[in-house]
Amino acid sequence: MPVMNSPYNGRQPSEFRILTELEGVPNSRSLEVYKKHGGYAALEKILKGGMSPDDVINLVKASGLRGRGGAGFPTGMKWGFVPKAPGEKYLITNFDEGEPGTYKDRYIAELNAHMLIEGKLIGAYAIGASKSYIYLRGEFYDEIAWCEQAIKEAYDAGYLGDNIMGTGFKHHMDVYIGAGAYICGEETGLISSLEGKKGQPKLKPPFPAVKGYLGRPTIVNNVETLAAVPWIIRNGAEAYKKFGTEKSAGTKLFNISGPVVRPGCYELPLGYPLKRFIYEDCGGLIGGKKLKAVIPGGASAPVLTAAEIENITMDYEAFAGAGTMLGSGAVIVIPEDVSMVHVLENLMHFFKDESCGQCTPCREGTGWLLKMSRDIVNGDGSPGDAEKIADVAGKMMGRTICTFSDAAAGPARSIPQKFAHEFLEFYKSKQNAAQAHG
Amino acid sequence: MAYVNVSRDPARNLKNGYLATSLVGMGTTLVTFAKQVFGLEESNTVQWPEVEYQYSERFKGAHFLTKRPDGRVRCTACFLCATNCPAQCITIVAGESPDKGVEKYPVRFEIDILRCVFCGYCEEACPVDAIRMGPEYSMAGLAERKWVYTKDYLLERDAVKRKVGEKQVSKKDENTKHDSVDSSLPNIHAQGSGHGH
Amino acid sequence: MSNQVTLSINNQSITVPAGSTIMEAAQKLGVSVPHFCWHPGLSIAGVCRFCMVKVEGMPKLQIACNTPATEGMKVDTVSSDVKDAHKWALEFHLINHPLDCPICDQAGECELQNYYMKVGKYQSQMEDEKVLKPKALDVGDTLVLDTERCILCSRCVRFEDEVTKTSTLGIFNRGDQATIGTYQDRKIKHNYSYNLADICPVGAFTAKDFRFKCRVWFLKESKTVCPGCSTGCNVNLFQNSNQREYYRLKPRHNADVNGHWMCDVGRTMYEHLNASARLPAPLLNGETVSAQAALQAVTDALKSVSADKVAVVFTAQFTSEEYKTTLATLKTLLKTAPKVFVWRDESEKAEDFDGILFRGDRNPNTRGMMDVLKEQGVTPVMLKGDFSALASASAELTLIFGPEVEAGYPNLAKALARFVELKKAVYFGNTLSESAKKMWLRMPVKVFAEKNGTFVNFNGVAQKLKANPPVFVAVKGVDEYFSDLGKMAQATL
Repeated sequence: MPVMNSPYNGRQPSEFRILTELEGVPNSRSLEVYKKHGGYAALEKILKGGMSPDDVINLVKASGLRGRGGAGFPTGMKWGFVPKAPGEKYLITNFDEGEPGTYKDRYIAELNAHMLIEGKLIGAYAIGASKSYIYLRGEFYDEIAWCEQAIKEAYDAGYLGDNIMGTGFKHHMDVYIGAGAYICGEETGLISSLEGKKGQPKLKPPFPAVKGYLGRPTIVNNVETLAAVPWIIRNGAEAYKKFGTEKSAGTKLFNISGPVVRPGCYELPLGYPLKRFIYEDCGGLIGGKKLKAVIPGGASAPVLTAAEIENITMDYEAFAGAGTMLGSGAVIVIPEDVSMVHVLENLMHFFKDESCGQCTPCREGTGWLLKMSRDIVNGDGSPGDAEKIADVAGKMMGRTICTFSDAAAGPARSIPQKFAHEFLEFYKSKQNAAQAHG
Repeated sequence: MAYVNVSRDPARNLKNGYLATSLVGMGTTLVTFAKQVFGLEESNTVQWPEVEYQYSERFKGAHFLTKRPDGRVRCTACFLCATNCPAQCITIVAGESPDKGVEKYPVRFEIDILRCVFCGYCEEACPVDAIRMGPEYSMAGLAERKWVYTKDYLLERDAVKRKVGEKQVSKKDENTKHDSVDSSLPNIHAQGSGHGH
Repeated sequence: MSNQVTLSINNQSITVPAGSTIMEAAQKLGVSVPHFCWHPGLSIAGVCRFCMVKVEGMPKLQIACNTPATEGMKVDTVSSDVKDAHKWALEFHLINHPLDCPICDQAGECELQNYYMKVGKYQSQMEDEKVLKPKALDVGDTLVLDTERCILCSRCVRFEDEVTKTSTLGIFNRGDQATIGTYQDRKIKHNYSYNLADICPVGAFTAKDFRFKCRVWFLKESKTVCPGCSTGCNVNLFQNSNQREYYRLKPRHNADVNGHWMCDVGRTMYEHLNASARLPAPLLNGETVSAQAALQAVTDALKSVSADKVAVVFTAQFTSEEYKTTLATLKTLLKTAPKVFVWRDESEKAEDFDGILFRGDRNPNTRGMMDVLKEQGVTPVMLKGDFSALASASAELTLIFGPEVEAGYPNLAKALARFVELKKAVYFGNTLSESAKKMWLRMPVKVFAEKNGTFVNFNGVAQKLKANPPVFVAVKGVDEYFSDLGKMAQATL
């Protein structure tokens, strides 16, 4: 299948191994295997090689690493926000991977949780934190066990504790198990949950980098972000920048779901063509079905039509330019035989269930959107429903504490707008069916 | 400025003046009287009380309170009629209804009919179609206490039953509650709302 | 750096202390920004998303309650996109609101109603079934909770957490199932519970004390001072002026005295004002007489006994002016100061304080009374449980100024029993207590709501009372009685 001209044409995804280096390696989760592949060398380089915290921050800044949780905020810059004043600071790993369609963090833990621990240690060194947490989703039984095992191994090997590698650097790490709320993947919601409160996002300002967990400066980073840090330290910022585009540097894990021949978690450089990813790497749609739409970055990303993905590349800028977002890199493929009305209802059900209920537009709006989309599915709709849903969703955008409301509004606006004809046809077919019955 | 030009013209006075028109009017009366005496024309006079005049169904006579289909009083004691009443003739004392689905009901509902001006604003103001003005117009009586209509009288008097009958039961949508919401519960934790952790 | 910032709101310039929010600046300027969750006496929640304003240079609309005012900031609260935001924020609040205004006690003073009239969308697009939640829940001795009416502004939760620190309330479940409620097996049980009904912007919390009693649009409010204890909270007293019936009190903000709140004990201070709780006319030996005749009897008694056989028993529940007139009149008539006793209840612990507002000294004017006595050169004798000092004075005429608020005098009956033993006891007070029946003369008096005068609180803050029309037209205040009495005595001299 011909695809657009891209620097990656002709290269195979298997060549881009930063996070998935241990893929296929036997016993990959063990500390020995990790060390054999250069594990904890980055930590040693920092602690024993005389790199100051500012050096680390500058190196990460130079690498162009951006937050992989969804927002894509530059990681080095985020670390730089933490006040230099003494006192307790916290580094928290967001392992609450809840975005529908996303399973990249779990994949990292499955390969080797030490990557994450080493990345966390480096981050903690950079911001001056002596305590950090891995906030894990309660349903991730295996991942909880793997992380706990890795932390234990790190303590035993002297990578965690009061005197790490004899350098006097002190750091302690713990796993915190959440209860599985989607909103606890939002950084301030996660902090509330960690504090033992109801998982609800906090009002900003103050920002967590200034006043976060227990009122102290706190950085919340995604698993994938932190897992990429040791490689960057070992190989340098320039090596990392060789991957990806100018503004979206490095590689990213993409999770593809839907009826494709080879679904799974792929490590790809940013800027990789989406169409090539679906049709070549994943082998296209099962049974040669036609593609109808793609949700490119998890449930909260606005949908792209088949026509829109024709020439799009998978990076922050290209997706933003198309009115959607890279998000967590969860590519959801929707084939021709799935009704967008059902897709909308499904997504709205998710968002209605997961709204924390704090801000009025989101609490009431998500419920309303679900009711309206259910009405259409049940044949109780009216011809103007698609516009009404898009209109209500538009009024929920940018009006709340966190971006959950925007996330719910994203698909609720894009689906009825881009597939208005389908909503009308669905309505008509329901009307006809009702008449045939009556 | 408009003004009336009073003519002093005797000829016009003869034609338009008081005496002439009075005589013309009397003439009309006498002609009609004669026609009716000799049976040439039907009389419009109703021989009340032997004959009862049939007013329009929409006549606004004495008030009555409507009931729910199960016979309970419809009124929720919201005081909107009392607020709206220009004669301030409605007295309501509200109370907690023993019926959990209703919450508020009138313990007392009284209309001082001597103060009432039959404007119908109470009917207009009522959000639940609880008060209506009925077909009753002959309300004469002797004992003073009769002039304050009590709740029982407004709900149950024979005259209304006879004249309004089934219409006293309001067909307006019942504001009953969803079965799953039991307001008698002392604490919300007692009910499984399906979302608890 | 200056600690003041100047910003402009709708092109009007305003200077506020640095760290203030746009909301505070707007309040200072008198610009109304619609809000539900923001309350000046509580922390900022920022959850109702109603107070949206446009700040020049910011891409999105901002909430006024949590956006700090900065130097040179340009805020707009009236442009069409801000108005649209307000409309929709209100619409989201209303889509699951039951709209049972006709049976809701809040109707008439409901912020949801008021804002609907001001900024409402009028034509709702909501056609689906509303979310149903539990109604009319009993959450304590004082309040009824209707979770369906609740708009989840969390004011009540913050009040419990921050002011009373009782933390009885929480928000349970999430999304549109989120519901305010008490924690398991807990009830709202503290002395500040009625404040929850006040701060609730809708009818979710309604006061049992006021439930279904009167629609608020029949009530007229008057500013006064609570007589319940020596704190002297500023309150609004609500009266149905047609019926001359008092229904409730609500706190009035005064940063120097009570802030935004008042206690539940203070809320009962309307009960003794209504006709049924009061003595309507003077009783001389149990017979109803006119005020004129009663005062004549007192004048005659005053003349027939020697000056050292007159005793006065005060309670600290009258205005400073009343003490002054009484003492001055008696001094003129007797040519000397009478013996003055101060009656305190035997259970009183005057120094008690609950840490918020309520004080153990249940008299509103202790400080004012002591000041007047000092000024008049009188040293009072305390009567607290022990009445022997009064008995040993062997007075032939005793003028007793009884407490208006009997709740602060749980041992009232016991004290009254001692007073009736006295020779010629004149009791100024409205008590309907059985023990007062045998009093020689009982004089009804005006209550705090009907008087002009001054209460001086524990802290020395003098606060004025303003008179409402009296419930009983013939009943006068102590100062009026004594100035009449003074004139009468002069005339018969």
